[in-house]
Amino acid sequence: MMRVVITGLGIVSPIGNDCESFWSQVTAGKSGIGLISLFDASHFPVKIGGEVKGFSLEKVKQYYPAAHHVRDRKVFLGLAAAWEAIQDAGLATSELQNAVLEVGVGLEEFCLGDLTPYADTLGHPQAAVMSVATDHSNLLQTPLDSTARVLGDHYGFSGGRYVNCSACAAGAQVIGEAWRLLQEGETAIVLAGAADSMLNPLGLGGFSILRVLSDENDQPQRACRPFDATRKGTVLGEGAAFLVMETLERARARGAHIYAEILGYGSSLDAYRVSDPDPNGEGAIRSMALALRSAGLQAGDIDCVNAHGTGTPKNDEVETRAIKEVLGQRAYEIPIHAVKSMTGHMIAASGSVEAAAAVLTLSTGIIPPTINLENPNDQCDLDYVSEGARGFNGNTVLSNSFGFGGQNASLIFGRYDS
Amino acid sequence: MFDDVVITGIGLVTPLGYDPAVIVHQIEQGKVIAEEPAFDTSNFDCPYYARVADFDSEKYFPENKTLRLMNRDSQMAVVAAHLALKDASITVGQTYQPQQIALYGATGVAGLALEEVTRLIKYSTGEDGALDLERFGDVTLKRVRPVLSFKLLANMPICFVSIFENIQGENAVYTPWEGHGVQAIVAGIRAIRRGRTPCALVGGCDVKTHMFSFINMQQLGLFDSWRRHGQGSVPAEGAGFLILEGEREAVNRGAKIYARFCDYKIESLNKQANIYDIYSSIYSSLEKKDVDFVTAASDGEAEIVEAENKLFTQYGMESATFQHPKRYLGNLYAAAAVVQVGLTAESMHRHNYQLGLTNCFGAGCEQGSFVLEKV
Repeated sequence: MMRVVITGLGIVSPIGNDCESFWSQVTAGKSGIGLISLFDASHFPVKIGGEVKGFSLEKVKQYYPAAHHVRDRKVFLGLAAAWEAIQDAGLATSELQNAVLEVGVGLEEFCLGDLTPYADTLGHPQAAVMSVATDHSNLLQTPLDSTARVLGDHYGFSGGRYVNCSACAAGAQVIGEAWRLLQEGETAIVLAGAADSMLNPLGLGGFSILRVLSDENDQPQRACRPFDATRKGTVLGEGAAFLVMETLERARARGAHIYAEILGYGSSLDAYRVSDPDPNGEGAIRSMALALRSAGLQAGDIDCVNAHGTGTPKNDEVETRAIKEVLGQRAYEIPIHAVKSMTGHMIAASGSVEAAAAVLTLSTGIIPPTINLENPNDQCDLDYVSEGARGFNGNTVLSNSFGFGGQNASLIFGRYDS
Repeated sequence: MFDDVVITGIGLVTPLGYDPAVIVHQIEQGKVIAEEPAFDTSNFDCPYYARVADFDSEKYFPENKTLRLMNRDSQMAVVAAHLALKDASITVGQTYQPQQIALYGATGVAGLALEEVTRLIKYSTGEDGALDLERFGDVTLKRVRPVLSFKLLANMPICFVSIFENIQGENAVYTPWEGHGVQAIVAGIRAIRRGRTPCALVGGCDVKTHMFSFINMQQLGLFDSWRRHGQGSVPAEGAGFLILEGEREAVNRGAKIYARFCDYKIESLNKQANIYDIYSSIYSSLEKKDVDFVTAASDGEAEIVEAENKLFTQYGMESATFQHPKRYLGNLYAAAAVVQVGLTAESMHRHNYQLGLTNCFGAGCEQGSFVLEKV
């Protein structure tokens, strides 16, 4: 089996539109949550979100002319993060011709506004939407393979372009699946990551009526409080992250900077309900246990957990219980932190952004804090790094991503020592 | 490690029926299922669709509460997965533990029916005719059902399969085209070959028979062949699942074995690439080409028909027996790959073919082929 390393990172997030600014903000405990400005959410029950700020779609279109027709914001977030990761890895376009691409995506965005001119004929919807169908320049719905298609046309990626839509687990699954392909010698280089934005009327509206979002609109930066006793729900965010993953052999041969090594991956299904996590956390337990097993590690070998930590009452309690079940006494001895407290829940992108954070924890020796955790409680009683960023000299980070529908994924990253 | 992978169960929900043997028979009889849509198609280039006319969701999901959460593609996926497990005589929890069964699936674009989309804007249009977010927030969000979000998430059909059948193993969901169905099959094969799991449920589902899908496909240019050549893909609906097992496990438990995977190849089509070149690249890398049975990808898409026929000639396959499922049951897009492979396996089982090729070429960038051999 091949060893697999990370040689490039690209991040676009509510707290920074590149890797460096993301890391400086996340380790400083800055919240990226605020009132939504991308559209008028003033009459929505939830008016807050983690928006990517100061992001230029036009700049991305300059890099990727094939994206000029795309309307879906998450595609651009993904393209920007991919561009940074490839630049960071020092790869030439030609090196990606036969590489594999793994892209995680979330909800299909479709433009409700395109249908409203026909709303007065809703009694006859067939007639109402006909004109839309003939407009090829403004797609009513952007297919979820759009990011992969643009990246493929630009760089090649003839080794395969996987488009993973496993909801909140997608961003971690693409990295795990890429690790397997590399480990098993199917390819030598993979660009893996995810992009998502649900900060549109349908995404925000749909999730707000599900009652999984915090509606503390008057204190946006405190609204996402993973593991806090007073937590009221998560906050939607948007973002993207891509990782260049290579076999150690290839990375060494080309003298690449190596951030960290990926050691293990596990995935599982709750098979419980589409709307709720299994209260016993059995799916989460299995995904972490499988990641440990695939890495050949024991519970005592894990030095830090980058938690899924959404801030919903159910998730944080179940995840804490699952971590204790898998890691035993070790769960009480190591730091556990939640990036979502600052970025919000970037849905499909979360797993990739948090994986990038795990990689940076190992390479910089800093653990980002869990902000807004002021009221500990009996159900969430581990060390969540609530006092601020902390130095880290451990060797491994476990990163969890648990998705709507019951899909779970866990990744283990290791410090790379040349 | 590197156990051979065999197909031991097939579950299909297609416009030509549910029973693989009956579907193959109907294809052999040349039964075409395309019909004129129930909605006005005057502005669409494609004039037909292929529905599963007798799919009665209330029969399969008597609990209305559950049914309200599920799109038609989810419903079909659950039924197809159940049929596959039944066909393989697998009882989850007995034959294999829930954690031992991997689940890899593919889902398509746009699960929502048009009626559900238009309901969203019914109360949200301002006097100027534009979307009024004030009304959307104040009125529409109070009228739509919270379950709407679950219908928008593309992973839901596969999650419903896991819930209904208690499948808990490793998993992933791919989207949105036929090639992503190929990826789901390949993921299952790899999981078994690498010894991570003894059994995988792999499949796909898609519903392209409502107007919202027709709008999408028209806009994406998927009906262009109809405009240019007067023929093309007939959008269909359905689902397919296969049970894959390690051959040793299958033999040990006395399972019915349809066929063994002996080769596959998947490649990505670049915008500027010639379709024939990609197909040729796939074929040239397949080790076994002396096939006696072929499930072709071509339906009515002129470019695919031409490129595929050229390959059959180039690689001397003219003497093989061919079936063209898409010409009869329509194009199932995200579900097409699994249905194509399933029909190859059924045909080999039924007619004693020794080596069967399945082409999964179509919309999207990913194109792939599988070779099955008789066990």
